[in-house]
Amino acid sequence: MKITIILSIMIISASAAHAQTADIFGYFEPQYNGIYFDDTYYQFQSNKLRVDLKSTAIANTEIGADVIFLLYHGKKNWNILDFLPEAISSTIPPQLYPFYEFAYRDTLYLDNVYARFALNRFALTVGKQQISLGTGYFANPTDIFNTKDALDPTYEQPGHNGIRMDFLLTQRLSLMAIYSPIEFDLKNSGKLLRMKLGLGHFDFSLLGSETQYTVTDFYTFQTSTQRRRMLGGDIVGELLGMGIWAEGMYSFLDADDDFYEFLIGTDYTFESGLYAMLEYHHNALAKSEFENYDLNDWMRFFVGETKTITRDQAYGLINYPLTDMLNIGASVIVGVSEWSAAVVPMVQYSLFQNVELTLMGNIYIGEEGTAYSNTLGNGAFLRASVYF
Amino acid sequence: MMRNRMKTVTFIGLYIFLAVALPLAWLSAQEGMTADQILETLTETMNPEQSQGIMTMTIVTSTGQERTFKYETFSKGQGEKSLMKYLEPQRVKGQTILMLNDANDIWTYFPKTKRIRKLATHAKKQKVEGSDFSYEDMGASNTFTEEYDAVRLNDEKKEGSECYKVELTRKPKSSAGYSRVVMWVEKEKFVPLVIDYYHDDDPQLREKQLICSDIRLIDNIYTPFKCIMYNKLDNTQTSMEIIEVDYDVDLSDDLFTEMGMQR
Repeated sequence: MKITIILSIMIISASAAHAQTADIFGYFEPQYNGIYFDDTYYQFQSNKLRVDLKSTAIANTEIGADVIFLLYHGKKNWNILDFLPEAISSTIPPQLYPFYEFAYRDTLYLDNVYARFALNRFALTVGKQQISLGTGYFANPTDIFNTKDALDPTYEQPGHNGIRMDFLLTQRLSLMAIYSPIEFDLKNSGKLLRMKLGLGHFDFSLLGSETQYTVTDFYTFQTSTQRRRMLGGDIVGELLGMGIWAEGMYSFLDADDDFYEFLIGTDYTFESGLYAMLEYHHNALAKSEFENYDLNDWMRFFVGETKTITRDQAYGLINYPLTDMLNIGASVIVGVSEWSAAVVPMVQYSLFQNVELTLMGNIYIGEEGTAYSNTLGNGAFLRASVYF
Repeated sequence: MMRNRMKTVTFIGLYIFLAVALPLAWLSAQEGMTADQILETLTETMNPEQSQGIMTMTIVTSTGQERTFKYETFSKGQGEKSLMKYLEPQRVKGQTILMLNDANDIWTYFPKTKRIRKLATHAKKQKVEGSDFSYEDMGASNTFTEEYDAVRLNDEKKEGSECYKVELTRKPKSSAGYSRVVMWVEKEKFVPLVIDYYHDDDPQLREKQLICSDIRLIDNIYTPFKCIMYNKLDNTQTSMEIIEVDYDVDLSDDLFTEMGMQR
């Protein structure tokens, strides 16, 4: 923590010294959450401050960094077992309950810090940086770096340590290579190569990667790692006036069974301004019968080792600009084989030039044990984003 | 002496011819211009080979609230390629919109998530940052000539200037966002002073009206420095003003790529 604070001070001091060529900006984001769970109403608040620095003082070079401060209030301590079906939580001996507790702790960390050297057709980015892959909206099968929150899929993702090279071969043909080191283990460090080609109204990507794959047994808390090789691709374009996209991957594991994942989607904007989107996501790693979900399925989903609990999901989104300042919409995620669903109504309002309010709810509809069970609790949050 | 006088008379005659007869002939030719010729000349005037500029866009809602955006624009190939990068406000700073093939291919870049998203053609109907301009209004350089059939109506005086009046009707298989467009084009400068846009489903329902003013000559190109789009249905308006513009630029094609968006 001390190192982070020192780094933050150094960055801000350095930027002040070079104020003419460095930008300091960011946002403050207080968020109030109301959660109704197990017949009890809980409050939980967070205050997030992100301070960004960007400097282009050196020719063809961009230095960027951001520090995130997070303060939590209200109900900060939870136990994951409280959210799991009785059939699963009852199998855990009470003396092990503390192992499933988690707490939101105040944090201060350097989320991104990178240098980007760019020439006309080549860019090299070194350091901790945001990386996003794939054409999917609510999930990205080819993204080995991030797992999206299906309830709020456009929220920013954390930075990842890596060396990234981008080559522009022709106007619509590019190559990207990423090396993401794990300590000094060259073999298991992340490596990714992607080729992207534009043809007509379509963009195609082909990618291959090699990463370390972690599997945790949450009964014994033993973790094992193995090598994962992945081949994937995505496409985005339009057909009959509608936007269409698809993304998929096949993973070869050294020890466990191979698995695959794909997503297809379509969208349309009506003359009234109403925007509608539909996606379908299949994750062969997940189970299709909710009665078979076990502790590991739930825990691996919570910690991001797998992207979904249920095998087949459909996602729908509508958004409508009610006025120039007010957007209303809703999304729904449906566990197809088990008929559970999460409904997420949302309202966005531009309060002032640099102040945006977001109200988002989550209502779970599904029987106990399903991915979107009504026993998971319902809630809503009000978020203000104040940009500076 | 006589010969010199003859020469002088001849030169004076030639001057008179050039000064009076040719412009009259040109005006006469202009008067005979068809709707398609007017549109083509307008499209050429309004879409220079290359341009780079900084603009502001101010949205005024029906309740009088204002939001101002400042952005940098680049275009090439008579508007066939264009790129918009937001400079202000902080909320959208760095967001970039790339439009290729006359806005038939649109990509947006979000610096907050470092994500590039390709939008389908239907997204042209979406408002740009909640303004009264759609992507189609902002990006397409040749929409009027490609997507509409044009008819010249009787000339009219508009905003104090003599104008050609041209009515455009959407072609049967076109996906353009307006069923009908009526425009008044300033006769000397070939700049549209007023454009009425009619609803997608109802050719009699005027949805928006664009009024351009403050026309200046920049690098031999007449440029309206201020345009206001009035949304007649929502009772809102969006004004766009040029802060600076330069047509004498040499932009690299590499700028109009995904890598260019992230610069």
